[in-house]
Amino acid sequence: MSQQTPSGARDRAAVGVFTPKAAILFVAVGTGLFMYFRHEKQKLLEQKQKELESRQYGRAHVGGPFSLMTHKGEPFTDKDLLGKWTLLYFGFTNCPDICPAELDKMTTIVDKIESTYGPIVQPVFLSVDPARDSPCQIAKYLTDFHPRFVGLTGSYEDVKATCKAYRVYFSTPPGTKPGDDYLVDHSIFVYLMDPEGQFVEAFGQVTTVEEVLGRFEKELREWAKEKGRKV
Amino acid sequence: MGWFGWSSSSKSTNEDPPLRQDRQKCWETRDAYFACLDRVGVVKAGDEGKQCAVENAAYNENCARSWIDYFNKRRVIAEQQKGLLAAANTQAQDAKRTS
Ligand SMILES: [Cu+2]
Repeated sequence: MSQQTPSGARDRAAVGVFTPKAAILFVAVGTGLFMYFRHEKQKLLEQKQKELESRQYGRAHVGGPFSLMTHKGEPFTDKDLLGKWTLLYFGFTNCPDICPAELDKMTTIVDKIESTYGPIVQPVFLSVDPARDSPCQIAKYLTDFHPRFVGLTGSYEDVKATCKAYRVYFSTPPGTKPGDDYLVDHSIFVYLMDPEGQFVEAFGQVTTVEEVLGRFEKELREWAKEKGRKV
Repeated sequence: MGWFGWSSSSKSTNEDPPLRQDRQKCWETRDAYFACLDRVGVVKAGDEGKQCAVENAAYNENCARSWIDYFNKRRVIAEQQKGLLAAANTQAQDAKRTS
């Protein structure tokens, strides 16, 4: 905010926006946002953290071994992700609007990739609410989305460990019972993993279908050039 | 009449997750209720007194309590943000005029 610059007058005008009243309101609103939209805030934080980590340590640090169960009640581990590209989302079936919107987006993306390249991408929904999301419940939920979706759930410990490996944050309100009505606060990313199970990218809520497709096709081209195959 | 089986009653024999038509119905009744709140100039759900009772009943009928709380809070925050933006704009305009 330098007065010496020709734009000094404009700078003063900008400072004038923050009267004490506006400042208090700003803080109040900020607190409200923090309380109820940690969902979004966490998303940004994790995005930053992810960018930092991928620059510092490379891709290998997102993801890892896990052992869960599919929506059909079959065992499923990280090994089952190999040999296909994976689009992975962490959410819960009682999510009011963000999860279903993201799963719709994934369905569109997978359909588009499939129509060009065949079924080379596996969509996966991993529940961060294992207490309520039984395989049966997830199976019913997934009927709204891509037919090739694999739903995953497991014990709280196994889910927690998987989320940790994928750097996904989630928080269930304390003292809830399986039949209770509650929401789970969680980070909102669609992860793209390559056919060797290596992390490629995490897409936030604001990323469009076209942007995800563009990123995927770029990665696919590089992969195909290097490996001589698409998966 | 419950929502997904666990709304008001403690017994949860019905394990069904919310499906697309359930969500749609909930969002529609929410939008109708919020439109009514807009009409009567109320931001915070519950401050409308006896107004919007029909819309509120439909909203409560079609959405889980946790969703209602979430949507209502989000409405308040969105309105605060709008108000803040408007106030900032007005002040920026005033500042521009006087400078
Ligand atoms: Cu969600």
